Amino acid sequence: MLDYRNVDYQMFIRRYDIELENLELPENIIIKMLPSDPLLKDVARSITNIRFKDVTPSVMRAMQMGIPPARIINEGLTRGMDIVSTLYSKHIYHLPEVMMASKIMEIGISLAEKKIPGGRTNKGTVVMHAAEGDPHDIGKNIAGVMLRSAGYKVVDLGKDVAVKDVVRTVMNLRPLMVSGTALMTTTMPAFPRAAEELSRLGLEIPYMVAGGAVNRDFAESFPTGIYSERAPNTPPIVDKLHDGASWEEIRRDWDSITGGE
Amino acid sequence: MNSYKMAYSSPEDMVFGHSRKPLSYGYGIRVGAGRVVPESNYAPRAGTEKTPERLRKEYVDYITKDILTRCINLGFPDVQLETEWISQMGFEPRNSVPIVTDQKEMANRYHDEYGLNIAVRHTIPDLRECEKGLRLGMDTKRLYPEHLIEGAEIACSNGADVLSLESLGGKEVTDYAITQGDITAYLFGAGILGSADMEYLWKELVQICRKNHTVPGGDSACASSNTAMFLAGGFLDNDVQRTFTAICRCISASRTMVAFECGATGPGKDCAYESIIVKAVNGLPISQEGKTCQCAHADLQGNLMAQCCDLWSNESVEYHPEFGGSSVQCWTGMLGYECSLMNTATAAGQAKVLRDLYMISDRRRSPEAYLLAFDNAWRIGKAMASYGSDRYMRAKEAALEGSRILLEGHGNKDIDLTRKQLETLYKMQRDLESLPDDGQDFTEMCLRKYGSEIPTFNPKNYDI
Repeated sequence: MLDYRNVDYQMFIRRYDIELENLELPENIIIKMLPSDPLLKDVARSITNIRFKDVTPSVMRAMQMGIPPARIINEGLTRGMDIVSTLYSKHIYHLPEVMMASKIMEIGISLAEKKIPGGRTNKGTVVMHAAEGDPHDIGKNIAGVMLRSAGYKVVDLGKDVAVKDVVRTVMNLRPLMVSGTALMTTTMPAFPRAAEELSRLGLEIPYMVAGGAVNRDFAESFPTGIYSERAPNTPPIVDKLHDGASWEEIRRDWDSITGGE
Repeated sequence: MNSYKMAYSSPEDMVFGHSRKPLSYGYGIRVGAGRVVPESNYAPRAGTEKTPERLRKEYVDYITKDILTRCINLGFPDVQLETEWISQMGFEPRNSVPIVTDQKEMANRYHDEYGLNIAVRHTIPDLRECEKGLRLGMDTKRLYPEHLIEGAEIACSNGADVLSLESLGGKEVTDYAITQGDITAYLFGAGILGSADMEYLWKELVQICRKNHTVPGGDSACASSNTAMFLAGGFLDNDVQRTFTAICRCISASRTMVAFECGATGPGKDCAYESIIVKAVNGLPISQEGKTCQCAHADLQGNLMAQCCDLWSNESVEYHPEFGGSSVQCWTGMLGYECSLMNTATAAGQAKVLRDLYMISDRRRSPEAYLLAFDNAWRIGKAMASYGSDRYMRAKEAALEGSRILLEGHGNKDIDLTRKQLETLYKMQRDLESLPDDGQDFTEMCLRKYGSEIPTFNPKNYDI
C-alpha cells in the first residue's frame, strides 16, 4: 500500500461536520427553558434528559400535588418536548434523542389524559401513507412521531397503500392534511391521482408529498400539493395549516416555514 | 465452531478486477478475471409503468438500445445491464416476460453484430410486508411472497444471466434501531432476522437459478445499512451518527454473506457497500458503486468504493434527456471510462497504485469510508471469519472489530470524529460488549426487549 501518512488531506477533504459541530452543552439551554414550578420542572426534565424511568413518577407526583393534568401536559411534557426540539434545531440533539423523547412524552400524556374528563383534545388530524408499491416508510414514521409530539392525531395507513384507500380515509376523516411518501419515480404518480380524485369529490385538502424520488417541483405540479424535504419540516408546515394557512400560502412561504431562509 | 479460511491472506492481495473465483456468463462477460466491467442500471420514467407494453418499450427500445449503442460508439468492450424491476413488475410478474426476453434478444444481436460482451442482471422486487407475512402462504391477500418467487422463475426462465434481490427481512427492526440509535436492535434485525430471511429466500432462489442456468448473484443490505447511511446523509445532515452507520455496515456484512452460504456465487450487488468485507472472506466477485452513482446515492466514499470492485455500477438513473444524449448513455459513458482507467492501470501494472489512490482520497472522509477502506475491511472480514457460520457471533464480532478500528484510528489521528460520533461509538462498544455470546440467548433477550416495542415485528416471519 502507498504510504499515505504524510498526505495532506486538507488538500482534498474538508470535514464540515467537525468544523460545524455545536459543542454547546445541552444543559446550558435546558436550564434556561425549564418551567419554574419544581414539580413541572421534574416532568419536563424526564423528557429533556431522556429518562424513561422518571416520567411516570414525576407525572404521578405532580397530579398527587394537585396540578391539573392539562397543565402537566402543556407546561411540563410539552415544554420538555419544546426544549428537545430546540436542541435538535441547534444540532445538539439528533434523531434518536427526538424519537426517545417523543416516546417518553407519550407515556406521560397517556397517564395525565386519563384524568382529563372527555380526554385530551388534539390540534387536528393528519392522514399519512407510503405509496402503493413502496416498501420504504421510515421517513413517514419519523414524521408521524414528530407530529404526535406536536399535538396532532396521526392516522397512519402504513405502506403500499392504494389510492382508493387514501381517498376513502380522507373522505371519512376530513383531516387537516394528508401526506404521502415515495422512493421511486414510478410510485409517486399515485399522489396527483389521489389529489385529483379528492378534488373531484369536492375536497381541497393539502397533500404533502415527500421521499427520495419526490422534489419540490413535483409537489407543486398538482393542485393542493406541498413539499416536505425532511421529516422535521412536517410539524411547522402543519402548524401553519392549523393556523389557517392555505396550501398556496404554504408553497409561497415554504422557505421561511422550513427554515430555508 | 469452524472458522472460515480467508480468501485473501493479506489485504494487499485484493485489487479491482480480480477475484478468487471469477465468473463467465452471458454473451462473453467475465468478471473478476482481470478486467472491471461497467454495470449500467436504470429506471423508467414516471407514467411508463401504466401498461406492460409501454414499459417494455421504455426498457428495451429506449434504454437498452441507448446503452448498447453508446458502448459501441465509445469503444467499450463489455457492459452488464441491470434491470431492477419496478413494483408494478412485481405485482404481476408474468407481464415482465416481454421485457426479459426482448432485452436478451437485443443483447444477443449487439453481441453478434459488434462483438460487445453483454450480460443482463435482473433484480426482482421484494414487495413483502412484515405486517402481512414474509413467508409463502402467510400473505393470503396480496400474495407478495409468492410473487417474489414467481418473479425469480420468470426472470431466470426467460433469459436473466444473473439474478439478484434486495431483500427486506428484518427491516422493521433495523428501521427502529436506526431511529433510536440502538445497535443491539440493529444486530438483532440484521444479524439474526435478516440472516434468517436471507437463508429462507436464497435456498429457494439458488435452486431456481440452477434449474435455469442463471448465475445467483446475491443480495444487499440496502434496506437496512443504506437506510442508515442516507439518514446520516452528508456533512449538513446529522440525524444519525456516522459512527453508528459504520458499525451497522459491519453487521450487515454477516447478513449479506448468507446468500453466498446458500449457494449464490456473485457478482454481489452494487449497493451492498459491505461487499468489500465479504469479498475479503469468500473471494467472490462484487459489483460496487460510488462516485459514478451520484445520480442515485450521494455517499461519502465515492472513489474508495472502486478499490476492489469487479463491476462498477451507477446504482440507478431515471431515463431522461441530457445534453450528451439520454441519461443512461451519459452515465454509461462515465462508468465505461472509469472502468477503462482501472483496466489501463491493470494493463500498465499500476492497478495497486490506482487502488490506493482511490482509497486514500476518501479514507478520512467519514467513519464508514474508513471502515470500508480495504485494509480495515479485511480486518473486519477476518474477525467475522473467525466465527465461521455462527451468524450472530460473527456479526457481533464484526461490529466490535469495527469499533476497535475506529477507536484506534481516532487515537492515531488517522480518522477524525466529532464529539457526538465518538460518544456514540463508545456507547455502542459498551452495548455490544454486554451482550451474550450465544445467539439463542441473544434472540430470547431481544424477543423480550423488542417483542412488544415494535408492533410490526412478528417472530413467525422468521420462524422463531
